[in-house]
Amino acid sequence: MNEKNTKHILSIMVDNEPGVLARVVGLFSGRGYNIESLSVSEVDSHKFLSRVTIVTSGTKLIVDQIKAQLGKLIPVHNLVDISELDSFIGKELILVKLNVKNKKKPDLKEKLKKFGAVILLESNHEFIVQYAGTPEEITKLVKLLKNTKIIEQTRSGLVSMATGTDYIKK
Amino acid sequence: MKNLTGAKIVIESLIQENVKVIFGYPGGAVLPIYDELFKQKKIRHILVRHEQAAVHAAEGYARSTGKVGVVLVTSGPGATNTVTGLTDAMMDSVPVVCLSGQVPTHMIGNDAFQEADIVGITRPCTKHNYLVKDVTKLAGAIHSAFFIAKNGRPGPVLVDIPKDIQTFKAIYKGKRLTKKISYYKPSLEPAVDDIDKMTKFLSDSKKPIFYIGGGVINSGSKASVELFKLMKKTGFPCTQTLMGLGAFPMSDKQFLGMLGMHGTYEANMAMYNCDLMICVGARFDDRITGKVSGFSPNSKKIHLDIDASSFNKSVNVDLTVKGDLFKILKLVNDKISKTNITFKNSKYTKWWNQIDKWRARNCLKYKQSKKLIKPQYALQRLNSLTKDLNPFITTEVGQHQMWAAQFIEFNKPKHWMTSGGLGTMGYGLPAALGVQIAHPKDLVIDVAGEASILMNIQEMSTIKQYRLPVKVFILNNNYMGMVRQWQELLHGNRLSESYMESLPDFVKLAESFGATGLRVEKPGDVDDAVKEMINIKGAVICDVVVDPNENCFPMIPSGSTHNQMLLGPNDKVEGEISEEGMVLV
Ligand SMILES: Cc1cc2nc3c(=O)[nH]c(=O)nc-3n(C[C@H](O)[C@H](O)[C@H](O)COP(=O)(O)OP(=O)(O)OC[C@H]3O[C@@H](n4cnc5c(N)ncnc54)[C@H](O)[C@@H]3O)c2cc1C
Ligand SMILES: Cc1ncc(C[n+]2csc(CCOP(=O)(O)OP(=O)(O)O)c2C)c(N)n1
Ligand SMILES: [Mg+2]
Repeated sequence: MNEKNTKHILSIMVDNEPGVLARVVGLFSGRGYNIESLSVSEVDSHKFLSRVTIVTSGTKLIVDQIKAQLGKLIPVHNLVDISELDSFIGKELILVKLNVKNKKKPDLKEKLKKFGAVILLESNHEFIVQYAGTPEEITKLVKLLKNTKIIEQTRSGLVSMATGTDYIKK
Repeated sequence: MKNLTGAKIVIESLIQENVKVIFGYPGGAVLPIYDELFKQKKIRHILVRHEQAAVHAAEGYARSTGKVGVVLVTSGPGATNTVTGLTDAMMDSVPVVCLSGQVPTHMIGNDAFQEADIVGITRPCTKHNYLVKDVTKLAGAIHSAFFIAKNGRPGPVLVDIPKDIQTFKAIYKGKRLTKKISYYKPSLEPAVDDIDKMTKFLSDSKKPIFYIGGGVINSGSKASVELFKLMKKTGFPCTQTLMGLGAFPMSDKQFLGMLGMHGTYEANMAMYNCDLMICVGARFDDRITGKVSGFSPNSKKIHLDIDASSFNKSVNVDLTVKGDLFKILKLVNDKISKTNITFKNSKYTKWWNQIDKWRARNCLKYKQSKKLIKPQYALQRLNSLTKDLNPFITTEVGQHQMWAAQFIEFNKPKHWMTSGGLGTMGYGLPAALGVQIAHPKDLVIDVAGEASILMNIQEMSTIKQYRLPVKVFILNNNYMGMVRQWQELLHGNRLSESYMESLPDFVKLAESFGATGLRVEKPGDVDDAVKEMINIKGAVICDVVVDPNENCFPMIPSGSTHNQMLLGPNDKVEGEISEEGMVLV
């Protein structure tokens, strides 16, 4: 039996109408599927279309069922399992607020710059840092900061795209 | 082009959808629509006595005609009362459009009087739903609702209409020119490749069986015609699910009876032992498969369905063909004719001989009694005495429902209305009412249990008001029989709360609603009672006092496989029912 759980990135084009997110999320909770991350925003303001990216995991049977169930939602126009395409990338955004002593600032600035993170705001004892990367890269960043005091952090869900034609437009 | 109020747009768009009847119940939030109903003559409104019953009546109407059933209710409690009905329609793929009133748009979210977030509540139990917040989108929402309800896999759609929207004005351009507000385009055409593969599977098999489901009925009478052709071309045996009964004539020798938990020995054994299973519009429900890992372990399986989410949901199959059944079956028939594939009888003799041996077990036999009416006997007599009238049969839920499926013979689609997926007690009476509205001259019988019938008994009042000659045939065993049966089998015969005490006198109850009440207590009187019932012009409740201890067999206990059937009261569950089995419903 093919019972192994695998991770999947689903990209879904939906009508941007009230309740559409509730339909998608309700489908997952109602049927006991897993949402690891979710992100959604309007991408076509003329046709009122939003693009939802969901990271989920399950056996092949379950993931096929998830896709078929999503495909049945009336506001869903198209759905692509990005993780099944040849060449794709997935990124998350993280904002971290750091508590830094003045004398440690230059050192940390240098470290962050090298890593590719950007300091958006700087105040007395604080940096607000932005970084976009794959989930693994973000984990690395958090590791890099393990000796720095993190006041708070917030992360977006994954957004993802594959090379080639616009397979999701319809 | 007319500038109309929202309420008027509702009526106009219903007329353009060719709606002749709606089932409803008024209230504050739909008064403008009721006012418009009052002013017109094209749509007939049937006033039910409970909103749940309105949905079941619409389901009965829809299932017996193939049209969309329409419901109109008020906000708050009116709308929440429809939830069971909508869920029922969702589970059994019945096309229903439910219009609900809502508090005015500016009050939504304020916990206003009789406000309920019905769009939120019914999201998981409708195929789709709308809250209309802009009167210019109202007609689009209603026409979209009808389109979605009846196309693809049918289902219920709810349109929630705030009261202010009903009074605002907008231009109504008619159905053709109204822009739909949803993009929905179910694909109906199967892939030609798959048809070729399927015919190859068919000709390769030696022990085939068709497993036929409600999808054939959903697809329409034309699908039944194509199915019949394919059955005759191949000569293969078939079984049908509870929802599929009548898709293929049950009197035909190729039919082995219903399958599943209470299906026949021959049907279940054939499913277990076949080398090819062709699933035609059925969904491998747990009532069919039993323990999935032991379900027809050695067969190739083909699944024909319009809904991709039905594929490989619980059972893995070897070939899926996606599309409308009429189209699929027609293409298969054409392919077989064109390529001159033949299905020689001799190839299947061994298979049929085996099937005949299973048949010879005569699994539906029961012990006749001179003193007590056996429920099976009552239904056999009902079937024999009404067969020529081609009646419509609805049921409630329980043992009587299963016996009706086993002992009443349906030779045409759309004559059998039962709550399969949700198993809703209280479905049968309102469904019968809806069927009778659609077929005023035909014989409509609700085969009921004494417990279930009380769940929507208030509909006797609707039946009275519209002088509907609905017949209610109660198999009164003084128990929630199906519950008692499980308690006997699985819970050490501790009959916790399954005895029906303080039942009404059904004869007097009938009379109080202007109907005729009959009671039968002896086997010898059954025929006369049935004859009297069908000869009476008006509504009848026939209270058939049956053996309170009879159980429904065959039965596959939960968590067991098709070859572990209990065939009668003397069969015992082998060993303990597994814990896994005990938790199953
Ligand atoms: C007390 C009780 C006991 C029960 N015991 C049994 C039992 O012993 N045996 C039994 O069979 N059932 C039994 N049931 C019913 C059971 O729960 C299911 O409702 C039933 O088996 C489902 O029938 P089905 O597979 O035909 O599917 P349906 O629910 O009728 O689904 C139809 C399928 O066809 C597809 N479809 C719809 N339209 C089309 C189209 N146009 N073209 C192609 N495909 C289409 C749908 O996508 C769906 O997959 C019992 C119910 C109760 C309440
Ligand atoms: C609304 C609802 N509540 C509870 C049940 C659980 N249930 C299934 S069958 C049954 C008993 C039905 O009794 P009756 O109508 O007398 O039918 P019988 O089994 O005796 O023929 C019950 C309680 C149900 N199916 N529906
Ligand atoms: Mg009973």
